[in-house]
Formats: sequence, structure tokens, C-alpha cells
Amino acid sequence: MDQRLRHLAEQLDVGLIARREFLRKAAVVTGGAAAGLATLRTMASAQPKTKLRVWLFKSFVTNANDVLGRQIEAWAKERGVDVELDWATFGDREPKFVAAIEAGNPPDLAEMHIMGPTRYKAVLRDMSALAGDLARAKGGLLPFAETAMKIDGKFLAVARYSMTTVFFVRKDVMEAKGLKPPKVYDPDVVEFARKTQDPSKDLFGFGQTLNRSDDGDGFMENIFWDYGGGSWDKDGKPALGTTFRAQNLKALQFAVDTIQKHKIQPPGVMGWTDVSNNEAYMAGKLVTTNNGASLYYAMVTKKHELAAKTQLVLTPGGPGGSFVGSSCYNWAIFGKSKHADLCEDLIRWVEDEKRFSEYLHVSVGQAGPVYKGRVDHPYWKSDPNFEAIVQNIVRSVNYGHPGPLTSAAVEVRAQHILTDMAGRVVVGGLSPEAALKEAHARVEEIYKMRRT
Amino acid sequence: MSPRVLGRAQGPVAYAILTALLLVVVFPFYWMFVSSLKSEEQMRTLTAMFWPSPAVLDNYRQLLGKTDFGAWYGNSIVVALSSTFVATAIGTLGAYALARLKFFGRAFMASATLITYLVPPSILFIPLYAQIRNLGLADSLTGLIAAYPSFTVPFVTWLLMGYFESIPEELEEAAMIDGATRFGAFRRIILPLATPGVLAAALFAFTQAWNEFLYALVFITNVKLRTLPVGLSTFITGDVYGWGFLMAGAVLTTLPVIAAYTYLQKYMVEGLTAGSVKG
Amino acid sequence: MATPAARLPASAALQRRGAGGGLARALGPDYRLGYLFVAPIVVLVLALVAYPFGYAIYLSLTRKYVGVPPVWVGFDNYVKLTWDGFFQRAVVNSFVFTFGSVAVKLALGMAMALVLTARIRFRSFWTGVLLIPWVAPTVVSALNFLWIYDYSLGVLNYLLVKVLRVLPQGVGWLSEPGTAMASVIAVNVWRGFPFFGISFLAGMKAIPAEMYEAAAVDGATALQRFRHVTLPALQNIIIIVVLLSTIWTFNDFTIIYILTKGGPGGATQVLPVLTYEIAFGAQRLGEAIAVALYMLPAMAVVIIVLARHMRRGRAR
Repeated sequence: MDQRLRHLAEQLDVGLIARREFLRKAAVVTGGAAAGLATLRTMASAQPKTKLRVWLFKSFVTNANDVLGRQIEAWAKERGVDVELDWATFGDREPKFVAAIEAGNPPDLAEMHIMGPTRYKAVLRDMSALAGDLARAKGGLLPFAETAMKIDGKFLAVARYSMTTVFFVRKDVMEAKGLKPPKVYDPDVVEFARKTQDPSKDLFGFGQTLNRSDDGDGFMENIFWDYGGGSWDKDGKPALGTTFRAQNLKALQFAVDTIQKHKIQPPGVMGWTDVSNNEAYMAGKLVTTNNGASLYYAMVTKKHELAAKTQLVLTPGGPGGSFVGSSCYNWAIFGKSKHADLCEDLIRWVEDEKRFSEYLHVSVGQAGPVYKGRVDHPYWKSDPNFEAIVQNIVRSVNYGHPGPLTSAAVEVRAQHILTDMAGRVVVGGLSPEAALKEAHARVEEIYKMRRT
Repeated sequence: MSPRVLGRAQGPVAYAILTALLLVVVFPFYWMFVSSLKSEEQMRTLTAMFWPSPAVLDNYRQLLGKTDFGAWYGNSIVVALSSTFVATAIGTLGAYALARLKFFGRAFMASATLITYLVPPSILFIPLYAQIRNLGLADSLTGLIAAYPSFTVPFVTWLLMGYFESIPEELEEAAMIDGATRFGAFRRIILPLATPGVLAAALFAFTQAWNEFLYALVFITNVKLRTLPVGLSTFITGDVYGWGFLMAGAVLTTLPVIAAYTYLQKYMVEGLTAGSVKG
Repeated sequence: MATPAARLPASAALQRRGAGGGLARALGPDYRLGYLFVAPIVVLVLALVAYPFGYAIYLSLTRKYVGVPPVWVGFDNYVKLTWDGFFQRAVVNSFVFTFGSVAVKLALGMAMALVLTARIRFRSFWTGVLLIPWVAPTVVSALNFLWIYDYSLGVLNYLLVKVLRVLPQGVGWLSEPGTAMASVIAVNVWRGFPFFGISFLAGMKAIPAEMYEAAAVDGATALQRFRHVTLPALQNIIIIVVLLSTIWTFNDFTIIYILTKGGPGGATQVLPVLTYEIAFGAQRLGEAIAVALYMLPAMAVVIIVLARHMRRGRAR
């Protein structure tokens, strides 16, 4: 109630509503005109303060969240602005954005996932000037980040950091068997896994879900590229079951084989969520897995015994090369915001190298570079495991590769088309050919919908 | 006076079924409770699976000391109680009218009320959010208090319609012959008699409001104004679940409803008894 | 509560109330108080259900992406869904999930009610305890079961493999196509059966003891008493509880979303989760709402048929 009244009083202060209107609404809120008047008197003496609504991504790296929150609050105090922070987790993010945009009530500023600028381009502000300034000052953007931030020639967001996945290997197990880190999935990872695993002791060579999840979808995308295929051709047209059919079939077959033929994966892997392989790895049940740096962060900050026994290496590849996608997190300002200048000021504040460095240090590898200047930050030399993270980010490609990053490509990923396809084979018992054909039809349909 | 269907064999059979049901019902809660007292180390190493060793209060300490859990608790209580009050008041009046009074459109309104229950909440929340925002109630607990009756009122009304129908009409007639107005009869005679039904309906409304997730997630952006289910879900920070931490929150979130029900369940049965049989 | 005795003829009262003139004749004797009392409900339903619902129906007839204005497409979304394999599978899953859950809940609820009317000690305490799953927040319960089902750290596998030794190896409860649906149904049942139980309990308490006594005098066995006294008396309440639960279960989003998100490989994909995915994954709001609305008429038909059928059973 109090909150609501204060809000009304603010509107009155900045002249958004008339005094009479305020009284009427206040009376409704408080249930009596007298109470409304009393509040009005106390509010009249309060300073009018601009209120900025900022939505942040609640990262798994909780220490980094704390740092960012503190930095923003320091800025707010310095500028005399009221900032309302809202943290959304992975799962909660999209409903909140969608509802807020559709109800015409988006925040002023939001920290977004790489899909953000493409998805919400209709309601985002052109930030080319600021983005250009910052990029120039920081040695230029990495190519994949620039592509993702620059939609139809305009920067709709300012890149902040990138999150990637790397290949986690149990160093102790590897050394005990005298092995080297695998370079390609087939045969390296398969052989590596076979030699190191011991299912009777609940230890499996490879943990990689093909289930709908960020981990599963990311892996499927990467491996299609590794085999020289992909969902899209160079021009951004559907290629899943046509141009790249042969390559994609091989990739799909391999993914399925890790479970059915090579038997290097633990049972239940098809039901894994993004959490499962982290838990399994930390419980000592996996020799290798693909995961974000957040797993490493979790082990290091909790002083987990496996932290020291873990080696992070480049994501393995295939006959067509080795590919990996990263998510470039970014700042976007909504077109409706009346405080775009303040938002830009805030972005400059938190992207200041000294402040970002503080954020970087508590992130344990999760806050990867997006600017060339940040690649050389001494922090990345402070742990040999960081090498693979930086290398993976520098070579990252985007949804839609080898074609452009399109709305259709984002939707194919968001709709889990590739993991659904794998699921149809592993769980549904379809032949890879049939599953590929079915998935291609879905890609075609999305392409058609998004083009019109 | 309760009827005994199971007959003479009832003793052993009843206890056997009861034990089975209790195991199924209680064990997950026991597990939740035990997990909340375990250290992360113990959780991972699978030692002493069924009890905490050692029992630690870290999860609770962290929850209450380092998060906004306390504020969320307060919000949930405010929202659940207020919306329950609103829904019960509206539902009681409406149910009485629909069950007892004779006016044009009554039958239609009675079935329309129940039909609104068919509408999936998942398709309502975006237009509803726009509506709440039009009323100037976005990002406030008042918004939730206004929105929750949209799904609690139909149920409350349905339950109480049955209840009012079970109260003999002659009671009102008698009061009115003694000079009471229709409203007076309702207030002084019928309402007191309907107390168990109203309590049962209020309990239902409270439970549904206490558990609601989607609207609370979407309508509220201020961290301090979150309700418990949404607040709890923000502890799932994606990659590594802090199970112990999460379970500590779960235990504390579940406690008030359990307390309310162990104390009030007899009203619930009573309220349902008359209400639903007539239904 | 006492059940009503035979009612007096209400004509006297009716006459008195009917003395309100022409309006009263047209709108019914109690129209003033009646409209006054239902006004809040009407306002509430119109503003918070009917209007948003109408808008949702409109959106389902458009192509609507987030942040851009809708484009009218008529019934395209519905036509397209009709031939969509993923949608069809979700429909089938939804019905399996709903009717599977409701059937088990019905059985368990009946068992619970019978037990709680039997001569046992601390009856009301047990009633309270058995109600807990129904009142615990769904989000909490679903997370708890995610944790219980966990393949490597979950207590269920531990119990079955290490303690009871009935399984040689753990089961990926939520990840095997054979067990995933059953596992999510189990959670829905666990959460929902107490409502059946308590409603049936309430219904049984309203059955006059003399009916059982009379049946006992006639030499009826326990089973016969159940069939000929309890069941017929509960008919109405069974219909209502089954209907309500069917609606709740059909619309249940939280449990499946938290446990499997529709996986593995779509084995537990149901309509509410599909709606969510299309709305927020694909960000096509029109189509998402069409998914949610598509089965509404069918659900209404199912409910009407079910209600008729059960009522006919009662007339027999």
C-alpha cells in the first residue's frame, strides 16, 4: 500500500497526474480521503527522484551477482537516482520479458542473453553510438559478439561478457591411464571414455545429455557443425535435411551412438537437465563432460576436492573442424524508457575496466571476454584452465552458422528442434533418417513463419 | 456416529492402509526436512542417507540471514490473507444469492461461475497483467490481491452454493415472518450457520493464494515484494542446485499451511460435508 | 451439519416477496438483493476473466510475435496445429496424464476416506497429516520430487538399490520413456489424492448411520454396504470431485515443467507445457494461445459426457 502511495506521489511530483487525480487515487488506495491527505503532506516534503527499473540476469556465479548489484547501487547513490533491481533466473527470464513487453511495461534497462537483441528488436533502442564508443575504447568487439549485437546494421545492445562451454576432464583419471585430452569426439572421446570408465563403480566416461536443455541443445548444434553440417546454409536457408543431410546424419548418429552403441554415458542421461551433469561430475561419476565455467566456479568456490583434479580443455571437434557457440550477455535499453541517457551512463559506469575487472575476478572464468582488449587481461593467465575458455570464446560462432544470425535460427534453438530430433531417435525409436526429415520440416516451417 | 464401511475387519485393514498412505505422504516431507539439515558435503557423499550427520543449521541461518526470505514471508502472508478475505466475502454474498434468491439470470450466472474455472490460467496471465497495469497495480502486492480472486472466487462460490442449499429455507422464512428483512435474515441467521462452510472455503482460497506462482512471478518485479514460491524459485540459480538450501526454504514455506490445516481440518470436513454433498 | 428436513411449501414466502411490482415480476422477486450480492462476482469475472479471455481468443486468431502488433490470420493457427505431429502427441499425452492421474487419485482418495471413517485412533490428526500434500506449495513439492527422483543422488534409487535391493541398478525415473510419464503422474497423484479423500470423507460423514445399520440388519457384507450404501450416496460428490480434478490436472503446468519440461524426447509433453514453450521459446503468442484453447471445447464435451454418464448411473 505504502509503495503504491509513494508511487502516486512521485507521479504528482513530476506532474504526470493532477492533484485532484492523486487525491482520488490515494483515497481509493488508502480507503479514505483523510489518510490520502496525510500521506500527501508527508510526501510533499520528499525529494522527487527519478526511478530506473533495471532487470539483471541472475547468474549461477552468485559472487558476481553481488558485485554487479553493489556497483549499480553505488552508481545510483552517486547520481541520486532510485534504482529498482530485479534478478531473473534462466527459466523465469522469458515470461517476464514477454509479459512486460506485451503489457507495455518493460524495464528501462535489461541485461540480456545473446538471443535478446534478435528477439526483442522491435522494442529496443538503437545504441550504436554508445556501443561504438565502448568497442573502440576496448580494442573492438569479437566477431561473434558484434554479429549478435548488431541487428540490421544497428547496435541494439552493448556487449558485456560471454559465457561459453568447455570440455571438463578428470586430470587424475587421465594421468593414471597415461592418456592425453581428446581432440575429436570420434574416435578420441569414445576411446578415452572407454578406457577410463568403470560402470560397475558408477563411473562413466562421458556425460552429455541430448535432452532439451542449454547443455543438450548446445552440444547438438556444435556437433553438427563439427561434422561439416548444420541447420542452415550460408544464405540462412534451411539445410538440415537437404544441403547438409549426409553430414548431419553422421553427427546425429554419433550423438545417439554415445548412448546406445558406445555405452560411454550414464543411464538416465536423456532426462538430464542443465543441473544434472554438474551434480554427476561433482559427485565423481563422470570422467568428462561439456559444461560452462560455472561448474568450475562452483568447485573452486566451494573448495571441492575435484577442482584441483579437473582440467579444462578445448571442446572436441569432428571431421569438419571444431565449433562452439557462446552466449554474449549484453545491455539493452527499451525504446519506451524515458531515461535512456541515465541508462547509458549506468552502462558506461559498470563497463568501466576497473569495475569490470572486479566482476571478472569473482566470476572464476564465467565472465569471458567480448572485447578484444579484455582477451589479454592478466586474469586469464592466472589459471591454466582459463586458456581453453578464452580460446573457445575467441573462435565462437552463432546460431545460424554458417549463415547469418536470424530470428528463425534463434527460434530453432529456442524450440529445441535438434534435441527433440535426438530424443525421437533415442527415446522414440525413430530411425535417424526419419527424425532428421521430421526436424527439417519443423525448421522449414519456422523459416517460413519468420520470413513473413 | 460415523458410518463404518469396513466392518469388523476394519481394525487391522484400516491400520494397514493408513500406514501405507502415511508412508507415501510423509516420507517426501521427511526427506525434505532431513535434506535441509544436511551439509553439502554429506549430500554429495551419500553418507547416512536417511538422517543428517551432523545436523547443521547453516541452510536456515543463511536463508534467514542473507536473503529476503523474511520479507517474502510477510508478503505471502499479506497477499494470501487479504485475497482470501476478498474472495471469501465476494464468494459468500454471491453464493447466497445464487443458491437462495430468485432473480432473472441466476441459473446462467451460476453455471458461468463454474465455467470460468475451465479457462486455463496460462493463457490469461498476459492480458491479465495488462489489465492489472491499467488499474495502476503492477508491481504491487495490491495487484496480486486483486488478481487472485479471479481463480479463488469461482471455487469459493461453488462450494458455498452447496452449503447454503443445505441450510433449511424455513429458517429464513421464520426470521422474516418475525419481521427481519431478507438481508437481516441472511446476516443474523444464515451466515452464523454457514460458518464452517465459509471457513472451509476460506481455507481453500488461502491455500491456492499461498501456492500461486505464475502471476506472482510476472506481476512483481521488485525483489522485496516477491512472494514465497517465486522467491524460492530464484534460489535455483540454474546450474547447481543448492538442495539443502532449497529444502530449508521448502520446509519453512510449507509449515504455515500445515499448521493451519492440522488445526482447521475439521472445519474443512464439516464445510465440505454439507456443501459438496448437495453440490 | 444437519441435512435438511422436508421443506415447507415456499409459496407463502414467495407471495410476500413477490410484492415488488412490475420489475420484480420481470426480474424475479429477489432481484434487488440478488443483483447487489452477485454484482462483485460479475464485475470480477468480467474484468479479470472474461475480458482477458476474450482478448486471448482474439490473439489466437492472429499471428502475434512478442513486441509487434498482431496480424489477423483467422483459423490458421488451429488448422496448422491439427496436422502438427508434436501437437498431436501433446494431446495424447495430456489425456494419458489427466485420466491416468484422476483414476489413481479416485482409488487412493476412496481408500483414504474409508480408512478415516473406520474406528482408528487419532483420526483427526491423521486426517490433517494426509492432507499435507494437497496444501504444500506445488513448486515446493515438484522440486522435492525432482530431488527424490534424481538418478545419482536421489533417495528413491538409493532406497530401491541399496536398502531394499529390489533393483540391481538405479533407474532414470524421469529420463526413461517407460517410466517418465508414470513418474510425473505419481507426483500429481501424490499431490492431488488428499482432495479426493477429504471430499469423500465429508460425503461419507453425511450418510446417516441408520442406513448402515439397516444394511447390517439385512446381513450385508462390508463390500455390499460399500456398493449399495456408500457409493450411491457419494455419487454426486464423486462427479464433482472428478470433474474438478480433471480440470486441475489438465491445466497442471508446474509439476511437469519442473520435473521433465516435457521430456525425454517429448514423452511427457502436455498441452500447458507446450503452450508455455511456444509462447516463450518460440515467442509466438497467437499460436501458443491456440494450443491452450484447442482442447477447451473437447474438455467441455468430456466433462458433460462424464457428468451425464455418472448421473445416469445414479438414476439406475
